[in-house]
Amino acid sequence: MNILNVSKVSKTFAGANGGTLALQATDLTVAENDFITILGPSGCGKSTLLRMVAGLDTPTTGSITLDGKAVSGPGADRGMVFQSYTLFPWLTVLQNVCFGLREKGLPLAQQQEIAHAFLAKVGLKDFAHHFPKQLSGGMQQRTALARALANNPRILLMDEPFGALDHQTRELMQELLQGIWEAERKTVLFVTHDIDEAIFMGSRTVVMSARPGRIKCDLPVPIDHPRHYSVKTTPVFMDLKARLTEEIRIEVQRAAGLVAAA
Amino acid sequence: MKPLEPVAPGTRVVLGVSFFILFFAVWAAATFGGFVSKTFLADPWTMIKSGYDLLANQGFIKDIGMTVWRVLGGFAIAAALAVPLGVLMGAYKPIEAFFEPFVSFARYLPASAFIPLLILWAGIGEAQKLSVIFIGSFFQLVLMIAVSVGNTRRDLVEAAYTLGAGDRGIVTRVLVPSSAPEIAETLRMVLGWAWTYVIVAELIGASSGIGHMITDSQALLATDQIIFGIIVIGLIGLASDFAFKAFNKKLFPWAQIGR
Repeated sequence: MNILNVSKVSKTFAGANGGTLALQATDLTVAENDFITILGPSGCGKSTLLRMVAGLDTPTTGSITLDGKAVSGPGADRGMVFQSYTLFPWLTVLQNVCFGLREKGLPLAQQQEIAHAFLAKVGLKDFAHHFPKQLSGGMQQRTALARALANNPRILLMDEPFGALDHQTRELMQELLQGIWEAERKTVLFVTHDIDEAIFMGSRTVVMSARPGRIKCDLPVPIDHPRHYSVKTTPVFMDLKARLTEEIRIEVQRAAGLVAAA
Repeated sequence: MKPLEPVAPGTRVVLGVSFFILFFAVWAAATFGGFVSKTFLADPWTMIKSGYDLLANQGFIKDIGMTVWRVLGGFAIAAALAVPLGVLMGAYKPIEAFFEPFVSFARYLPASAFIPLLILWAGIGEAQKLSVIFIGSFFQLVLMIAVSVGNTRRDLVEAAYTLGAGDRGIVTRVLVPSSAPEIAETLRMVLGWAWTYVIVAELIGASSGIGHMITDSQALLATDQIIFGIIVIGLIGLASDFAFKAFNKKLFPWAQIGR
């Protein structure tokens, strides 16, 4: 069943001579329990699309609905993990994870019970009383993931959440998120420019064109769960990677102005 | 020495203290050596002796108490009004647009120039002293607090929105706590300025306070007493600054990490 419906959504950023078209009219539907990865070159509007779903930006045209209700602003039903480290530095790890729960008005004991459970899932049980600045980047993003999940959103939006991490940490984070997703089957919309990440994480991969962005192709990822990191070397993975590399390459060239726009 | 290389804590204290010693040594050399006339500048020893006399026999401690009370009173009133207004201006742009131009203008009005006017309006009582300090600190505080609040990281605000925070939650749970250490620093700095205003207010039309003692001493050419008064102001300022700093550190441990 489709829970998220993006219909004819485009975005033009205001500016001199009419503004910049960042995203062409785009349609996207997301079914319950889907893990959709959105892959595209820098500046293709993939983050803009995600931010509009989050309600942090408003579409210039078109509409977005979640469970049939129009999205008109940010809300707790759409949790988000950002690329930048967005933990509240004045709160401890535990208090960060409790942030949304407190906003919902849950009693403190219940907030902490939920928060501890999610901290355990991301392997940060022993860091509950640390401040964010005392954690590594990977640990901060794990906390941010726990914070978003603890709120039990209908859909989890992830905007290149591992983009600022080093390669090894990133792979570790991918496995961790994969494990959590396999256990919870939370609906996820995941933006990335890393092809391996898009395939490994996604049940569907959506490729976007260079600016102004549009959805170029939408491919299912035919790899069974549970996925082990070793799937990255299987023929199915390699074939899909070859295909996506080709799709992305031409878009990167377009974005860089090396070939004419489509 | 290398640029930006930190200094060891022990060395820091030694260096800091040695400048004070050097300062007193130069002063002592100039006065005891007879290079400066006693009428214009008293020597350190006379200063200390008359300082003791002021404290022990002339009730100077009461003057100090009055001055401290005025600074704290005027500053507390200014802070109590400036913090909420500054937060509102930082958070809500229309409120900022309404007040900011006037406040920017008002902060350049010299507080001391208001003294004659304030004497007309409020007499030479405590209300006048408090008003001078209020005028001197309120507008500065408002502007600096508004800037601190307005500079809150946008991505933190967005994260809070996606966690279900409403507008009220954004102000009370994100804007205020994230700018609180900077607001506390601003309060500390402006409290330092308030000390200057109180003395100016006391130099004109006061019957008590450190500034009043200084004007009285001027009439008697008692430079020893004037200097003692100035040094007392400096010491109290220094002590309150240290206390404020320590308090801020304790209140916002998270802001100290990674500094």
